[in-house]
Amino acid sequence: MKKNTNSLEIRELCVQVDGKEILRNLNLAIPEGEVHALLGLNGSGKTSLMMVIMGFARYKVTSGQIFFEGKDITGLDITERAKLGIGIAEQRPPTIQGVKLKHILYYIVDKKFQQSDEFALMVKAAAMEKFLDRDINEGLSGGEIKRAELLQLLAMQPKFSMMDEPDSGVDLESLKLVGNLINMIFSRDSCRRINKKAGLMITHNGSILNYIQADKAHVMLEGQIGCSGNPHVILDTINKCGYEACARCMRRVAR
Amino acid sequence: MKSSNMERNKSEKIPDMDFCRTEYGMYAPEVTSMAQIKQSDADSLAGVGVHVRGHERSGTMILRNTYTLCAQSESKGLELLPIAAALKKYEWLGDKYYFKAVPAELDEATKRCAGQKEPHGYFIRVQKGARVTLPCQAAFYMASENITQMVHNVVILEDDSELQLITGCVTQHDIKSGLHTAVEEQYIGKNARLTSTMVHGWGSDVVVYPRAGTIVEAGGRYESNYISLRPAGQIISNPQTWLNGKGASAKYLTIILGSPGSTIDIGGDVYLNADGATAELAHRGVCTGGKMHQKGMLIGNASCKAHVDCAGMLLNEGKGGFIESIPGIKAHHPDARLSHEASIGKIAPEQVEYLQSRGMEEREAISMLIRGFLGSDIEGLGTELDARIAEIAELAGHGEG
Ligand SMILES: Nc1ncnc2c1ncn2[C@@H]1O[C@H](COP(=O)(O)OP(=O)(O)OP(=O)(O)O)[C@@H](O)[C@H]1O
Ligand SMILES: [Mg+2]
Repeated sequence: MKKNTNSLEIRELCVQVDGKEILRNLNLAIPEGEVHALLGLNGSGKTSLMMVIMGFARYKVTSGQIFFEGKDITGLDITERAKLGIGIAEQRPPTIQGVKLKHILYYIVDKKFQQSDEFALMVKAAAMEKFLDRDINEGLSGGEIKRAELLQLLAMQPKFSMMDEPDSGVDLESLKLVGNLINMIFSRDSCRRINKKAGLMITHNGSILNYIQADKAHVMLEGQIGCSGNPHVILDTINKCGYEACARCMRRVAR
Repeated sequence: MKSSNMERNKSEKIPDMDFCRTEYGMYAPEVTSMAQIKQSDADSLAGVGVHVRGHERSGTMILRNTYTLCAQSESKGLELLPIAAALKKYEWLGDKYYFKAVPAELDEATKRCAGQKEPHGYFIRVQKGARVTLPCQAAFYMASENITQMVHNVVILEDDSELQLITGCVTQHDIKSGLHTAVEEQYIGKNARLTSTMVHGWGSDVVVYPRAGTIVEAGGRYESNYISLRPAGQIISNPQTWLNGKGASAKYLTIILGSPGSTIDIGGDVYLNADGATAELAHRGVCTGGKMHQKGMLIGNASCKAHVDCAGMLLNEGKGGFIESIPGIKAHHPDARLSHEASIGKIAPEQVEYLQSRGMEEREAISMLIRGFLGSDIEGLGTELDARIAEIAELAGHGEG
């Protein structure tokens, strides 16, 4: 029988941004083929966690380790991590003048694929046909930025995908589209577990979880994973009792 | 028609013109026909957009050192002659056009050019109503060390005609020094349209003084793309454009990829003299050491509209390198709508990282950002420009972090 290994594992991770400690002794494991949701208050450190997993230089690891498919990647740069199969759809990606969405997509996929129907279908699935010739994120609406980010992930087909609030500020109609895109990115429509990709999704209201089944949810509290468990149970608790309930629960555990 | 802004903004001193380095006309030509051009030289020429073989062109002119290898039109309605031959053939050329858009006594460069026994360069005339679809190409090619090329070109587009002109200036790859001066006079008739793409790839110590004057009549359009892939030791140029007819327009895009040890000073004065005239001037400079001056002056003398925009990317200042941007506007008419902007910055690390997260190496990311900054689609120059940008990106990558 095949051993169930972790796609991503984080051990005792401490992270600083501009000299300020943002993540404290954080532990997290995401097994192969699983998609986890990450919840938590504004400013609790969710985005920082994703950025440090991707390797953005601003987020400095002061101690602890990050493993991808069993390999310690803490010292690798962004490119190396991307090439290993880690990808991100950012909450606030930069705008870049003169660099068009198609330039990035054409970098990611080869010439032959660019001309294929499959590629056209991808672009269509993200409803981004009209945006290929636009400068990256320049003047895009909130929802359009999400779709542009997800389209790039879809083209990259990472083994481990991170999405920072793909459902925030997305209208009901587009939510369906976004849900579909995310399912494509994780190959969730496949019946064979082995094809399924792993990942982490940040969400506030959990609305995206109506479109894609998360295997587990974690609650981030002040730079740590406070609580983990069934996504629907956790969302329910937060909806009823707020994050304060998680904090109380955590204090109990600490004692 | 007088050079305008000598008095303006001399915050960084531009070196005096230097004519002492080279000798002139001492060389018996060792290559006297197209067929004799070596493959390596053909490659150099291709690098600045001029193709000796196998490309469809409406006309070709090649000056090697001080010898005209060919000047030949392949297209109806397009006349292409060595300027000396044209002066003999057409008396009106001397009377009406020669040294009329650029005065002979403008400065030392023009005086010397006017003083030479037989001028080198091309005469191009596109007949009334002729739309020349294939590009016409001209190359000024320095194949020996320390020579002087003094060029005089005249382009006349008669009314309703159209031409796309590619000019490549290049030194053979192992040549370092030389002097190239050029007088360029362009006359664009009513509703005529001239698109000029000029690519420079010089040896590191070459001195280059172009002196250009362009006159555009009603409804005419002049588009100039100037790209300096490999800058010389010194380039000083301040092309003058007069939009004299109603609705005449001009658009300049100047791209300079700098390098250590070079001084590049490129301006561009546009006189908007008729109602409905429009002009756009854009400078894009990438500095990796060396001195770079971006200028441009719009003078509104009628109800017109124009914008000048200078943008610099300072990747590496090297030893005392800099970018200086001075866009200028001046209105003499209440309905002149003129604007300018200028910015200098470096490559934003978060943009590099963003592209890296899509799998790009740092230098690939920097290349893409520079390409984007320069404006991504520059026709006919794909691979050469990419190669040069990749070189610069490599340097920039090492400079960081
Ligand atoms: N560059 C920075 N300098 C200082 N503090 C920073 C910086 N970047 C992030 N922080 C701080 O780190 C903390 C965590 O930020 P992060 O963006 O990770 O939160 P988040 O959980 O994603 O919040 P949200 O739900 O609002 O997106 C916040 O208090 C934030 O202000
Ligand atoms: Mg966030």
